[in-house]
Amino acid sequence: MSDELKQEQEITQIIHKTFKSAAVEIKRAGRLAVKLRSDLLPPFISYLKDYMQFKHLVMISGVDWIEENAFELVYHLYSYERKIHVMVKVRLDRNNPQMQTLLPFWDHAGTYEREIHEMLGIHFEGNPDLGEFILEDWDDIPPMRRDFKTVEYVNDLYEWREGREDRQDVRKTIAEQYDETIPDFDKEEK
Amino acid sequence: MKEDWGKEAGNIIANWARKHSLWVLAYGTGCGAIELPPTMTSKYDAERFGLRGAATPRQADVLLISGYLAVKTLKRVIRTYEQMQAPKYVIGFGSCTINGGMYWDSYNTVKRLDDYLPVDVFINGCMPRPESVIDGIIGLQKLITEDKAYGWIKYQKNLDWYRANQKKVIKNWKMPDYNW
Amino acid sequence: MAGIIKQEKETTLYLGPQHPGITGNMMIELKVTGDTIQRGKTHVGYLHRGFEKLMEERLWMQCFPIVCRICVPEPDPNEENLARAIEELEGREVPERAKYIRVLVLEMSRLATYLLWMGGQSGSAGLYTMPQWTVGDRDYILDLFEELTGGRVYHMYIWAGGVRRDLPDGFKGRVLKVMDYLEERLVEYDRLLFENAIFLKRAIGVGVIDKEKAMEWGVVGPPLRGCGIAHDVRKDEPYEVYDKLDWELITHEGGDVYSRAMVRRKEIEQSISIIRQVLDKMPSGPVHNPGPNPLKWKVPSGEAYVRTESARGEFGYYVVSDGSLRPRRVHVRGPAYVHGVSLLERMLPGTNIADVSFIMNSLGTCPPEIER
Repeated sequence: MSDELKQEQEITQIIHKTFKSAAVEIKRAGRLAVKLRSDLLPPFISYLKDYMQFKHLVMISGVDWIEENAFELVYHLYSYERKIHVMVKVRLDRNNPQMQTLLPFWDHAGTYEREIHEMLGIHFEGNPDLGEFILEDWDDIPPMRRDFKTVEYVNDLYEWREGREDRQDVRKTIAEQYDETIPDFDKEEK
Repeated sequence: MKEDWGKEAGNIIANWARKHSLWVLAYGTGCGAIELPPTMTSKYDAERFGLRGAATPRQADVLLISGYLAVKTLKRVIRTYEQMQAPKYVIGFGSCTINGGMYWDSYNTVKRLDDYLPVDVFINGCMPRPESVIDGIIGLQKLITEDKAYGWIKYQKNLDWYRANQKKVIKNWKMPDYNW
Repeated sequence: MAGIIKQEKETTLYLGPQHPGITGNMMIELKVTGDTIQRGKTHVGYLHRGFEKLMEERLWMQCFPIVCRICVPEPDPNEENLARAIEELEGREVPERAKYIRVLVLEMSRLATYLLWMGGQSGSAGLYTMPQWTVGDRDYILDLFEELTGGRVYHMYIWAGGVRRDLPDGFKGRVLKVMDYLEERLVEYDRLLFENAIFLKRAIGVGVIDKEKAMEWGVVGPPLRGCGIAHDVRKDEPYEVYDKLDWELITHEGGDVYSRAMVRRKEIEQSISIIRQVLDKMPSGPVHNPGPNPLKWKVPSGEAYVRTESARGEFGYYVVSDGSLRPRRVHVRGPAYVHGVSLLERMLPGTNIADVSFIMNSLGTCPPEIER
């Protein structure tokens, strides 16, 4: 087992030598996950990009952990030479989320940051373009947060069409037509 | 109200000419636009009914709303509809125009199309086949022959109701006020 | 000509939501002097439905019908990604026959997308016979899909644990007949489009991507292979049975619209050959590894990143689960996200207005997946 994951273990050791507070986990062959302090992020990304050939920024995702009162940013990097994918995870305080921009490293990092700013409300220092990107004239809280309730918002703003007057259950009609029974989805499987 | 509307619209010969040359505005507003090229090409040839694509709203007769409408697109579609010349017809294509369809709980799409624009024909399905599109066009032709397709006159007479619905959804209303 | 002062005025032009050729709705705000573009800015958001929020409110099984609608011309890589992400989180095995059928469906979908692309690219150059031919020929593949899965455009066929049902009788013969027909038609397409003097004059030297900077700008898929760099997800991280089939990676030097068109043209032949091999080598057996009751199905907690090669590039899904009935977070990375927003703004200065939608079609921008 340790033969197959040789390259991943080598990378883990190199990271631990320079960044002692990083927690590296090998998920499976070709996937690494690193948990990092939020102020160490720009030097870490620059180290991976310039010295360890992780030149391809795949995407930047944002996850809302409302129970732990934190936002999590995940930076996905891929190396074409080593064929390994690294997920760098950083936690931010939910009441005042701030982060440094990665625009000097990659052009398209700016696009991901604009979308996260609009959908989750995280501010990126140094990005000149933060503003309206996908939504137009939005005046509520950022919609991807967990405390934004979509069904209430939709019921307030839009109108529904009424259903059939006889409130017929179509499953029963079709089952009677073919002499079958409706399966019971509520019972637990063993 | 039919006696009122009939005087403005036209006689049998004008209706016959209109129904055999319906030009559709080439604007795909949603998912349904992927089944429109197959309708226009050789397998389900729609050109034999007089249908062809028009490039600008001034040259088009029919506005085919193909699928859902995001609020940003609704603002542009309203302006396009008001720029078209009468007589003009609207076809609602797909289940999303009827009751929200697959995106019934989305915060950005419109649920009932005929609250915002006057619709003449609805086509059901997700995704409707090209034969259903042609069925819808034939239905519209039948309505024109029977003198029942007067969406544009309904829009003019009930403009306040339509505007109130539109302004509830579109928050920043910076559009010219057409007063015909 | 001394004494004449030339003043050139800069106007703002809005190249609106509709474009010639078959792309989606995207607006580009251009600043032009005469016919040359000085700079451009893209505006997206006309097709936003909020998929990622919708998926957080639905059960795991209810996510499969909605996930195909993210990318309108090519829905199958979406289902494949979500199914493989769930299988990785659960540790579920897929039977061999199901893997071969999945490769068959993915390659047929890739063929259909390339045929639609050919129509769009020549439509935006003004050659209107090609869309009539290729969209008509694409209907034969959509008929095969309808026989296999029940729907022409949105299939909902690949799900977690395998595929939904087995191949019907006589399907193999019908597929091979369509493949023979398409190979004959490729000769006609060559004569009409790829060796046409008008197309060559318009395509060579237009929309050039620098080879050294391509990876830094985040280019993936056929635009990357059109610069001469050999990377493909099917060779880098083989999934399903791509490492057991015999095919090769195609590159072309140049980096302009013509080399990207030639990469896609040769990949059509590659796809046809893969489909023939898959139909030959398919083993027998079950096609689905069933899971628990779908209304009470909880996926174990964890996270996974899965990637597939679609007709436009690398398609990625990042799925986070916290052990409950609904997904915690599903983030979709479309291949056209980078090509449509930041790469296009970089390539526009210095081109003509007539070339804008030509370049957009060759990069493969598809706005439904930029804004989901």
